[in-house]
Amino acid sequence: MSLAMLKVMALSLWRDRAALVMAFLLPPLVFLIFSAVFAGATGESVRLKVALADLAHTATSARLQKALLADKDLRAEIAKPSTLAEVREEVRSGRADAGLIIQGDPDQPGSPLLILSDPSRAVAAPLTEARGREAISKAAPDILLARQIQDLKPALGELTAGQRANVTLAEDQLIQDPASAPKIAPLFAREDVGGAKKGTGTIAYYAGAVMILFSLFAAMNGALTLIDERRSGVADRLLAGRAGMGPVVTGKFLYLIVLAGAQATAIFATAQFVYDAPVIEHFWLWLVTTLCAGACSGGLALALVALCRTREQGQMLSTFVILILAAIGGSMIPRFLMPPWLQALGWFTPHAWVIDAYQGLLWRDEGPGELYKAWLVLALIGGAGFALAQAAARRTRV
Amino acid sequence: MSLPAPADPVLEVAGAVHAYGARQVLRGVDLRLCAGEIYALLGPNGAGKTTLARAICGRFEPDDGTVRIDGRNPYRDRHARTALGLAPQSVALYPQLTVAENLEAFGRLAGLKGPALRAAVQEAMEVTRTDERAGALVRTLSGGLQRRVNIAAAILAHPKLLVLDEPTVGVDLAAREAVADVLRRLKARGVAVLIITHDLDEAAELADRVGFLIRGRKVAEGTPAELIAEAFDDRMEVQADVSPDLPADARARLHDAGLTEGGRPGAWSCFATDGYARAASLDSQLKAAGVAVREIHVRRPSLEHLFERLIAEDAP
Repeated sequence: MSLAMLKVMALSLWRDRAALVMAFLLPPLVFLIFSAVFAGATGESVRLKVALADLAHTATSARLQKALLADKDLRAEIAKPSTLAEVREEVRSGRADAGLIIQGDPDQPGSPLLILSDPSRAVAAPLTEARGREAISKAAPDILLARQIQDLKPALGELTAGQRANVTLAEDQLIQDPASAPKIAPLFAREDVGGAKKGTGTIAYYAGAVMILFSLFAAMNGALTLIDERRSGVADRLLAGRAGMGPVVTGKFLYLIVLAGAQATAIFATAQFVYDAPVIEHFWLWLVTTLCAGACSGGLALALVALCRTREQGQMLSTFVILILAAIGGSMIPRFLMPPWLQALGWFTPHAWVIDAYQGLLWRDEGPGELYKAWLVLALIGGAGFALAQAAARRTRV
Repeated sequence: MSLPAPADPVLEVAGAVHAYGARQVLRGVDLRLCAGEIYALLGPNGAGKTTLARAICGRFEPDDGTVRIDGRNPYRDRHARTALGLAPQSVALYPQLTVAENLEAFGRLAGLKGPALRAAVQEAMEVTRTDERAGALVRTLSGGLQRRVNIAAAILAHPKLLVLDEPTVGVDLAAREAVADVLRRLKARGVAVLIITHDLDEAAELADRVGFLIRGRKVAEGTPAELIAEAFDDRMEVQADVSPDLPADARARLHDAGLTEGGRPGAWSCFATDGYARAASLDSQLKAAGVAVREIHVRRPSLEHLFERLIAEDAP
């Protein structure tokens, strides 16, 4: 009996082209957009747009400006007019992520470079500084050498004539061939955790985030048909029969799990083929996680609809709940960017568990021993929602 | 007034009493319906028809009294409901599915499967003459055809009792006749049919018996012909259509002539044994009184006249 309802739901979806697009095309598309945006924001491919102005007008400052303009990691552009006010305006208006003013000769003591940034873009200033330093060390290492010698002067005293001649020689050589600069061991060494899986964490994060977001949307739409059935008299017809609404609710629950699985397949296939996320490699764990996530969204949606008397109430409640859960659970903004109390609150949403489970299996190579907790939480939410919906369906008899 | 009750009724409601809070909705309703009988339950809005139908469908148990389908309590015993089919007032089908797919789905939900399901779907389509449109999506069908599929979905499990709530509301005359034809076929197969309707013409045309439910009480029951004969003997309705804006003295003269205004403004009527002779004398009387008569009708009384009389008699 329940399979009959599953077939009814599947055929209704199949013949509704708009709903098909919403169910299967939109989720991978949103995933691609989110992953492109956030993989950049949290990874190594950020290219800041920097407005430049050379106020020093010296030969060295001109070389520095040229080096910054040539750097591929920065999108540096000379402000027009090349003034402090114009650069400030470009940053204020958001036309540039940060501003860089060459306010003094880089060869001379003091702070020749001034970074202008909007405080609301906290990462813009340090990134500009880091990228600027890297550009200078690659294209004009002689400037750094000259400044280091200036810095050492208080400790070492004046250079001797011979030392000054050596410095001049070294500077000339560096101007002619910047690549010949001696490699100095940096203070910090860096290690990419996860090795070859660089970026998979973000991909897994957003695949999971988009999956649970859209499976909840689709589940709510599917569950709302319970209200349509009450309104159209289908529920009256079935309640007058032997089986009642029980098999209908069960059939819808099964359908919503299958639908969530199909949506997840579309999203994770995109992740596999576009970003090389190792979905096939972890297929069985992925399947269990997906079924648990589908059961969770299906049960939750059926329970929410069971609380509503009209479609309007159902739509209002579902929009409210879905958006709040998505915002807290990390489907909209990466959870690690949230304040700690909000991150803790996130564990009360299915989203955080779904995201954590997918990240665990695709990124951290976790097995059932680590994933069982998320599976249990999701299955329990789904089971409780399903039980509530069944109880409400029995109550409909009166 | 009632027919002698045959043994073993398919539906038996005895002394059904029910209230929603302080509002008494059913006040001791009795109803018996036998195999192969069509019964029309009539009454104004709020009379308790839907509440009675819900009790019959096992949606709740009345506060007092009993409801039995085939001898079993439809609320307590879900097997009692296997003998019941319901065609709700709205078209209770899945619009994105074809006729056959809808019937297959409802058949499965009624517990049918395999060859029995296929046979039931085919039979239901044949009885309702919807088999030629088996592959059409329900949303593309005309209102009349949708109504017939609505009935087809209710008879899949071969119910002994079919309950129809306003089966022809909103359909044209041809579609109404097609639905009536389906119900006659079901009657011929021995199905007991309970129609809840406002359509008095439909009831008169189709029903073996009708029952009037007013303010939770069954105030009349019997065959349409019996009920009308009992209420009006062999009198006929004489109705004169005059201007609705008659002066007061003309209205007084119409009252003196034994006429009452009702139904619509300007329609004055009375009941008379010698209907045609009364019409002729009324015409002369009105002309002599200076009342311009547009039209005079002579009609045999119908369920509509009975309904109006019952409503008037029951008015508080």
